[in-house]
Amino acid sequence: MNAVVRSVMGWSRSGIRPLFILGIILLALWPTLMTSAYQMRIFTIVGIYALLSLGYQFIFGHAGALSLTQGTFFGVGAYVTGILSVRYGLGGEFTVLLSIALPLALAALIAAPVLRLESHYFALATLGVGQVMLLVAISWQDLTGGANGLSGIPGLTLFGLEFGKGYGIMAVVWVCVAMGAFVSWRITRGLYGAALVISRENRIAALSIGIDTAQLRYAMFLLSAMFAGLAGALYAHTIRVVSPEALEFAIMVACLTITVVGGRTHIAGAILGAILIVNLPEWFRAMEKYYLIAYGIALLAMIVAAPYGLIGLLEQWRAKLLPEKPPAMPPAEPFIFVRAARSAAGPLLEIRDVHKHFGGLKALNGISLTVAPGQIFGLIGPNGSGKTTMLNVITGIYRADSGSVYLDGTDIHNKRSFVIAQSGIARTFQNINLVEEMSVLDNVAVARYGFDNAGLVQTFAAGRIDPAWKRARSNAMYVLEGLGVATVAQSAAGSLAYGLKRKVEIARALALEPRLLLLDEPAAGLNEGEQLDLADRLRAFARGGLAILVIEHNMPFLMPLAERMACLDYGDLIAEGTPAEIRANPLVIEAYLGSPEEKRA
Amino acid sequence: MLLQILANALALGAAYALLALGFVLILNATGAVNFAHGDMVMAGGYVAIAMGSVLQLPGALLLPLVVAVMALLGFVFSWFAYFPLKNRPPVSVFISTIALGIIFQNSANAIYGAAPRKGPPLLSEGNFGMGGITIGAQALGIVVVAIVLIVAQHLLLNRSGIGRKLRATAQDREMAEAVGIRVNRMIALTFALGSALAGAAGLMLSNTFFITPTDGTNYVIKAYIAVTIGGWGSLSGAVCGALIIALFEVLFPSLPLLIPPLKIIAPWLFTQTASTILLYVGLLAIMFFRPQGLFGETVQRRV
Repeated sequence: MNAVVRSVMGWSRSGIRPLFILGIILLALWPTLMTSAYQMRIFTIVGIYALLSLGYQFIFGHAGALSLTQGTFFGVGAYVTGILSVRYGLGGEFTVLLSIALPLALAALIAAPVLRLESHYFALATLGVGQVMLLVAISWQDLTGGANGLSGIPGLTLFGLEFGKGYGIMAVVWVCVAMGAFVSWRITRGLYGAALVISRENRIAALSIGIDTAQLRYAMFLLSAMFAGLAGALYAHTIRVVSPEALEFAIMVACLTITVVGGRTHIAGAILGAILIVNLPEWFRAMEKYYLIAYGIALLAMIVAAPYGLIGLLEQWRAKLLPEKPPAMPPAEPFIFVRAARSAAGPLLEIRDVHKHFGGLKALNGISLTVAPGQIFGLIGPNGSGKTTMLNVITGIYRADSGSVYLDGTDIHNKRSFVIAQSGIARTFQNINLVEEMSVLDNVAVARYGFDNAGLVQTFAAGRIDPAWKRARSNAMYVLEGLGVATVAQSAAGSLAYGLKRKVEIARALALEPRLLLLDEPAAGLNEGEQLDLADRLRAFARGGLAILVIEHNMPFLMPLAERMACLDYGDLIAEGTPAEIRANPLVIEAYLGSPEEKRA
Repeated sequence: MLLQILANALALGAAYALLALGFVLILNATGAVNFAHGDMVMAGGYVAIAMGSVLQLPGALLLPLVVAVMALLGFVFSWFAYFPLKNRPPVSVFISTIALGIIFQNSANAIYGAAPRKGPPLLSEGNFGMGGITIGAQALGIVVVAIVLIVAQHLLLNRSGIGRKLRATAQDREMAEAVGIRVNRMIALTFALGSALAGAAGLMLSNTFFITPTDGTNYVIKAYIAVTIGGWGSLSGAVCGALIIALFEVLFPSLPLLIPPLKIIAPWLFTQTASTILLYVGLLAIMFFRPQGLFGETVQRRV
């Protein structure tokens, strides 16, 4: 019992939580001071916008995609409730559910073509959907009441209970906000939350550790639509009319402003933002038409001065003024991160006649190579010879124009990047792809995403601490120890020296339990002693059955390490053999040093 | 009949082309979407109305003034919306331009109110009769002005020293900086240029279609669609895209006039609403099947 009390006390004192708790108490006391129905209504609308923004945080904050359709989902939710309750007299238990379901269906429908697009296209497409819905609402008069909309929406009734004006609807709205906040907290934490962070901050890295970033975005988009639909239903029951105004861009702008001002990933940010933005016109009532200009100024000022919003700013100040001891490092939990190939016979990786060109430039010109299980294979060649393109073709970031790639006998060519990663190919990047703000430990731990069944539902259902995340971090600790970099586990990845970052990337790749490891210039930034150390560790992994393909310019590092080597030049494979053969090959020497004629000239 | 419709489509397309060109210029220079670009059109319309009521001059004479004012506005715009955020992800600029768009819209609303206003005509409201068809003077004027401006823009960009610097900045900012180009100045200039083109479009559109403070959203979507159709970042593509949209917008609702049976078969299909919806659906289809645009070549980002 004592331990529970202590842990709760500890929780309530850490971070900016004392402020949160104070805020929640104030928020709960506020309604008791209200004297007019108007004040209650404003407070109810604050709750509705908080809910809308909580939903918007999923797609805009956590998935990092600028959706401009949150206001549309809200309007659709409001219209569904309006139409069903006015025209068909349905009760809240149906209208609310359908107000959630229809935006959800709409989101599912539009997400398919839109979500894989670059961010600017995503914004445009979502905007277009909004304009279409607005036009439909205005012109489908029989159903929607046209430009005048529908009036006479009754108060909310749920299973015969009425939640009318004043405290009734206010209580329902704020209970929904509390539930929404709980859902948001549960979903965006732990291993799933970490996967969201890496997908947002560095999509290529997320794909390289087997995370289906499109699926995460999809889930976030659907969640945001559901929240918006619920907020729309409550809105219709609160203001009792629904008109095309509910679908206009102004709602979207208010939602965006709330989320940016409050903080795009903080639950408290949605509530604080809603309090400020909804009350702004009330506080600046004297300004009449001009208060909307203040929206614009607030949005601009926040995006420039505090991109993580007011709550983010508070947290920054807290971290500066009252720095906290980092949490204790998790114990290392051993696991076998070097898997042997399934079939011992035959090559592990086989590349057959791969061609890849960019416009007129031939980056790969009919390359064939094989790498055996447990083999360390060196790939060399002058800059621009196609080495990294080769890696990108193997890992599915580029699609080869022709040819095939087999992993352990399975054709992986044309498979999507994250699927290839899941099937056992891990990689590092020439220009490091770590999430700079995340700790080293978390950067590595997130690679365990595919192993612990970390999904949205599992994360939601887990207790106060996500066990999958705990295991992932313990496993990550073990890999970091295996590479001799456990001492920096708690540092932010961005704060590390170049060579250390490379090792952390190797650790992350190994946490994927790969059968084939692709390293793009792993020795860059390491001094001689560190290079020897890294070579020793790589050899040990290879003895365990791991195949390693190394791209490297550093011959003193690579020559003693590699069993076989190949040299690319302008997209052609010009030599393959043992390091000694490569060293003596005149074509290789010419590729690196230029032909003798050129030198004389 | 068909010729008249085509003339109207061409006029609308010419105005859209100015708008889309400015949008792409800013996009290429900064890598960010200027969401307030439609609001710049709206602002241009109101500037024309304000000046027209004071100076009592036709639009053709107001045009240089409007262009100058809007260029200045573009400069100021870049100080607020772009430069404080130039080292942040492009989405920050997207949001800051949304914010400035809100400020523009509501300033216009505070000054002029929400009721539609009509801008001054370029020359007169009359029609020209040519070989049995009548073409509005305004439509003809728009086409002429747009061609002049597009040619001027093309010459500025491709035949002048400053144009070379502008293009260098858009192509590779770091490299441009390394060879001594004042990159920030070039970007501010691009904003001025884009804003000026949008303002010219605003002057001309505000006469034909009137103007309200909230029209900007609609216009920026048009620019956006034109650029998507023409290929993200392509100047000539943007012009083609603008013409295609305008042709569709004008031609589609008037199809029943050209082919009377259509009026009986599907009267609901050939409304303004339905054509707008079809335009968006077409846009989604293009983004899904040909994200590089109708004319562009596939571009792959380097990893």
